[in-house]
Amino acid sequence: MRTAYWLQCGACGGDTMSLLGMETPNMVELFQEQDLQMLWHPSLSSATLLEQEKLVENLRSGRQPLDILLVEGFVTTGPDGSGMYDTYRGKPKLSLVKDLARHAAVVIAVGTCASYGGIGNTGETGASGLQFVKEECGGVLGKSFRSRRDWPVINLPGCPVHPAILKDTLCMLSEGRMPVLNEWQCPEDWYSMLVHQGCTRNEYHEYRVEEEDFGGRGCMFFHLGCHGPLTYGPCNKVLWNQRNSKTNAGVPCFGCTQPGFPQEHAFFHTPNIVDVPLELPKGVSRAHYLAYKGMAAAAAPERLTNRKNRV
Amino acid sequence: MAETIQMALNRVEGDLEVKVAIDDGRVTDAWMIGTMYRGIEKMMAGRAALDGLVITPRVCGICSTSHLLAAARALENLSGATVSYNGRLLRHLVLGAEKLQNDVRHVALMFAADLTNKRYQDKALYQEAVKRFQPFSGKSVIEVIQASKKIPEIIAILGGQWPHSSFIVPGGITSEPSGADLRQCQMLLSEFRRWYEKSILGCSVERWQQVKSAAQLDSWLEEESHFESDLGFLIRCGREFGLDRMGSGHESFLAVPEHGLPGIASGGAVIGGVASQDNITEFMEEKISEQIRYSHYQDTGKGGHPMDTATRPSVPGDSKAYSWCKAPRYDAQAVETGPLAELLVNEDPLFQELVQPHGSSALLRELARLTRPARLLPLMEGWFHDIDMKAPFYQSPGEFIEGEGFGLVQAPRGFLGHWLQLSRGRIEHYQIIAPTTWNASPRDDLAKRGPIEEALIGTPVQDPENPVEVGHVVRSFDLCMVCSVHAVTKNGSSLGRVHFGAV
Repeated sequence: MRTAYWLQCGACGGDTMSLLGMETPNMVELFQEQDLQMLWHPSLSSATLLEQEKLVENLRSGRQPLDILLVEGFVTTGPDGSGMYDTYRGKPKLSLVKDLARHAAVVIAVGTCASYGGIGNTGETGASGLQFVKEECGGVLGKSFRSRRDWPVINLPGCPVHPAILKDTLCMLSEGRMPVLNEWQCPEDWYSMLVHQGCTRNEYHEYRVEEEDFGGRGCMFFHLGCHGPLTYGPCNKVLWNQRNSKTNAGVPCFGCTQPGFPQEHAFFHTPNIVDVPLELPKGVSRAHYLAYKGMAAAAAPERLTNRKNRV
Repeated sequence: MAETIQMALNRVEGDLEVKVAIDDGRVTDAWMIGTMYRGIEKMMAGRAALDGLVITPRVCGICSTSHLLAAARALENLSGATVSYNGRLLRHLVLGAEKLQNDVRHVALMFAADLTNKRYQDKALYQEAVKRFQPFSGKSVIEVIQASKKIPEIIAILGGQWPHSSFIVPGGITSEPSGADLRQCQMLLSEFRRWYEKSILGCSVERWQQVKSAAQLDSWLEEESHFESDLGFLIRCGREFGLDRMGSGHESFLAVPEHGLPGIASGGAVIGGVASQDNITEFMEEKISEQIRYSHYQDTGKGGHPMDTATRPSVPGDSKAYSWCKAPRYDAQAVETGPLAELLVNEDPLFQELVQPHGSSALLRELARLTRPARLLPLMEGWFHDIDMKAPFYQSPGEFIEGEGFGLVQAPRGFLGHWLQLSRGRIEHYQIIAPTTWNASPRDDLAKRGPIEEALIGTPVQDPENPVEVGHVVRSFDLCMVCSVHAVTKNGSSLGRVHFGAV
């Protein structure tokens, strides 16, 4: 049997909803099939006071082995590096994170906050990811951190993490396998395609039929701040809640899997130069893009310019 | 400008510790301690007017849609923008869906887990409680995990994903669901109803609605399918374990008016107000204030209305302050909010009678919550029916430049409010009061206890090393995420702490 411990830091609980939202297998089935025991989850466990105290002490000291440490939420280092904005037993939770990570065979940062600081990055709490602060490797565990199995922290960004990614990673790790990671320490299998791929508005994007206000069917990349062509994630391949994605429903992608999330400038606005977004899709040259989009707009069929096609 | 905007989001979600003093087997004093400061409101300082639609859902993973709705309403309140009729219907539908998943998850996964505590191992219904509610393996737990994750699919179809979408915008919603989309939603709702009637109620929603008095509840309970249902079991078990006799508090209850729903207000939607033992009064937003004497914030002299109060964190260590939670008060009173408050403010005959003999209780709060889907489902079915496919789902609200506004929502856990000030198209001030802020508030400027603190007084604690009774009372308020209980004996020595998971 393998063991797991779910630690919540500066979290909203959204990643716990991803845990509860897993399908085929669902959470309970996964634990059974993989013979994985969740020693503790703050929303789900029912250990008594003394049992929980003892568990934490045994894990901290390494007396009880821990296979998988899952951390949800950013780690708070403020004010002034003390970590006292988030405490456990009157002491900074920061030190609990470090102690548990030191003894865990594998450490998973569940969600963008635990991976890179996420939503905490714009605040005053000194938010940090486990092994990154935004794009910079380091974080509270440090650049050279390796877990007991000699692995770096596995980042599963997303606000929240996509349930399918969490499920797949848990299954792999339960079987003792390590996912192949990219430069941001995310599993390549899940973070090598853009959110844009599979968006039902793709044809509108293709012919540059754009929206400047909500409620329309056109592309949101050029004016409404959509980051779909700039963001790695499977949101339009493996749909959310088995059903849909934000971009399909007329909500711009805010790039929530990216280390820089959340951006500082307005979410619902695309900064432009001469009517072309400042940030272009990955690897695209501006001159070519200008020519291509100009021609595409001229070639747009009426069914798109009239917004006849549903999305 | 920007630097004067202070927004602290205190303990609306995250770790809470509870400290209780126990004397002669009963709680004699209690302190709710918020141990984490995330400073979400502060993050909004200087941001663009609409950015709250993206940031504030991240306050809470389980009620992100409620925050989104409050953020959109605050902007509409500021500008006077109107919402399309379809937009209003869909907003109420997604809010209803968020409540459905919350209510069954809370009761089966978070609250009822304590019924499997070894404290009750000699009770007649203990083995049955374990069979149903043992974490990760109980029969009801497994069923609820499966059923509750289907309901957010409705929100995903209408709004892209759950949690943390931003599809509710001033003027309506961003999507334009097709007839097929809506029918998929209705099928999901029907599926939920079938399961809820079979497993939770043990009868049809219509049969449950006939229960209007304590006597009718007792005769309902005696019918076999009800006796065996999760609701029936919770009532029997709660009574045997004594949960109906612990957790009464200030006995003042607050609910938000569910405005903006033409023609449906009389059909069971919540009418806002404040209920106390003597009377029910109309809700008035200007009677809300926040107080910080016992909170980790730099004292600005006095509390005030959330549109005026500043929020500057201070380093813990001050002798009086003990929580990151502020103390919101209504007309200077500590009030409780949540599904029970909804019912009492709306003069529900069953719950008005049940609350009479001994006041509110941990069991009564759970009953109010677990039966809320029975009140919501017929309403939601009607709202789907009322959608006019020829009418718009969104109408442009214009620009948001200057002014102030507030948005109120009767969220899954009760009263939720966002207050916002804009200047030159930028956010200058943002304050959030969430349901847990009311319920888990520390003492106020007059040293009067918050609602949960008060509800804990008198709670019997058989074993201070296993104070599960404290957990019943605290959890019956459906707090966000983790709380820890810090038990203190009469002489003040610490017995350690237990974590209570409550989403």
